[in-house]
Amino acid sequence: MTQDRIIYGIFFLVITAIGFAVENHYYLQLLTIIGINTLLALGLNMLMGYAGQISLGHAAFYGIGAYTTAILTVHYNINPWMSLPCALFLAVLVAVIVGLPTLKLTGYYLGMGTLGFGMIVHILFREWSSLTGGASGFVGIPPLEIGPISFFPARNYFYLVWFTVLISFVFCKRLIKSRMGRALRAIHDSENAAKAVGINTRNMKLEIFVFSAALSALSGFFYAHMVSFISPESFSFLVSVKIVTMVVIGGMASIWGSLLGASLLTMLPEWLHSFSDFEMVVYGLILMLVMIITPQGLTRGILDIYERSRTTKNKP
Amino acid sequence: MSDREQQKINHNPLLKIESVSKTFGGVQALRNISFDLHSGLIQGLIGPNGAGKTTLFNLITGIYKPDDGRIIFDNQHIQGRQVHELVRIGIARTFQNVEIFGSMNVIENVMVGRHVRSKCGFWGAVTRVPWMVREEKNTFDNAMEILSFVGIEELAYRKSSELPFGWQRLLEIARALASNPKLLLLDEPAAGLNATETRQLGHLLKKICATGITLLLVEHDMSLTMEICDRIVVLDQGKKLAEGTPKEVQSDAAVMAAYLGVEG
Ligand SMILES: Nc1ncnc2c1ncn2[C@@H]1O[C@H](COP(=O)(O)OP(=O)(O)OP(=O)(O)O)[C@@H](O)[C@H]1O
Ligand SMILES: [Mg+2]
Repeated sequence: MTQDRIIYGIFFLVITAIGFAVENHYYLQLLTIIGINTLLALGLNMLMGYAGQISLGHAAFYGIGAYTTAILTVHYNINPWMSLPCALFLAVLVAVIVGLPTLKLTGYYLGMGTLGFGMIVHILFREWSSLTGGASGFVGIPPLEIGPISFFPARNYFYLVWFTVLISFVFCKRLIKSRMGRALRAIHDSENAAKAVGINTRNMKLEIFVFSAALSALSGFFYAHMVSFISPESFSFLVSVKIVTMVVIGGMASIWGSLLGASLLTMLPEWLHSFSDFEMVVYGLILMLVMIITPQGLTRGILDIYERSRTTKNKP
Repeated sequence: MSDREQQKINHNPLLKIESVSKTFGGVQALRNISFDLHSGLIQGLIGPNGAGKTTLFNLITGIYKPDDGRIIFDNQHIQGRQVHELVRIGIARTFQNVEIFGSMNVIENVMVGRHVRSKCGFWGAVTRVPWMVREEKNTFDNAMEILSFVGIEELAYRKSSELPFGWQRLLEIARALASNPKLLLLDEPAAGLNATETRQLGHLLKKICATGITLLLVEHDMSLTMEICDRIVVLDQGKKLAEGTPKEVQSDAAVMAAYLGVEG
């Protein structure tokens, strides 16, 4: 409990310090994207890492968040802070409708079900041109502001996103350490035994699916208002896979793993520019290596190395 | 149900199995089984492999629905009700192949067992309202109490999947007790235990019974069953073969022939 507080305190200071120190707008924006991706990975990690339910369609919720706020603010002139609850509500509604039938599935079948859902939503974004701007995308999404404070400058947006990440971390950690968190992990370990101790597994899975969808939509909201231009390709199947990869690389069932995974997968393409044509090859190789060396994800891997070095040091 | 009917089943046994049948494909796992289970007793359920014992457990706990017949628990018809609802009204179980939550430590396993007796949901957890903090502490204290009742409190922070098998069995019982059951179904709790552990298990089961929990026990270990059970029901190939006190059952010729392999 107090240990958690210290960690959040440090996290807070780090965010503040980075916000102060980094002057370059490009880097600030890159860091903000990492924050947005961290929210995405965190949302999926709650579902996948803790409850053990895979989703290969999470980019759909990300997109629902982005397109809802884009459409409401541009076509209907609604204040972005009013469109946020609408975006969250729509994502929750869709998650309930999609989750009720698909969460009955397990394993590969659940993967296929969510994959299909993600593809349908992607096609909707692309083909429903009158509303979404179609394949060419949606332009002119307004920046965020609260009264006199504009979040248009990169630094303000950085703070907005990263303090949201901090709050989300606190919430998720609380959730995990609660009755509900234990029930989710129980479902992950053995659904039969979870039922036998009286957990309504269907409702529990649906609840975490909905929460996970809401976090993704929040992330999409931030993305849309940051870049002001969105297109269907930002919410395609490949993006769903990327979110899954962030969770797996960073570490399943680890909140900080989401941060690590999101950072790595956002930064890697930037670093790999110098490889130009071979970028994707090197990218793939790095991911493969990480999975081979630390199959539990980077967070677990680093902790293991740390613990091993400590035990060897303690030996006479 | 009319009031009269309700009246009729009041003061009846805690669990009443009434002509229950269940088939899987072509296999008739249970045919027309009836027996009563009275409060405060340890009742044995024995029979050779494939007799239908686990199937009967799965019917009582709501995993399967009987094809035919009725199951009445604590004056309520329960056939066809959801598993988690039945835990809430007081039916807990352990599995033939131990099913603990391997990624959690021992105390967390027991705290999960408390699920139906606590209610903090999503909003309670994120807001950490005072009642939720209190409930969480109660859950923890209760789990600790149960661990010491079962005699494994010193294992509280061990990872459950790393425990020796015998302790995993005890943990599973502890987890079941955490839901404050009226009826506890144990599916071969002594399987895989050595003689000392089996003896200790026998004491524990009596101790559980003494707290007012009714036990239905599937067990192949005959000396344990005969020693601790007040009554025994014998199944064979889905049919009820005999019912009575351990003495009566032991002297039943049909049981001897079918179950113990002795020609009467
Ligand atoms: N889910 C199922 N699907 C198909 N057949 C089943 C199923 N469950 C049980 N059976 C069959 O029903 C019969 C009774 O099985 P059950 O597991 O209840 O026996 P048991 O008395 O518990 O045996 P054991 O002592 O080996 O545990 C067996 O023939 C079994 O193959
Ligand atoms: Mg069995």
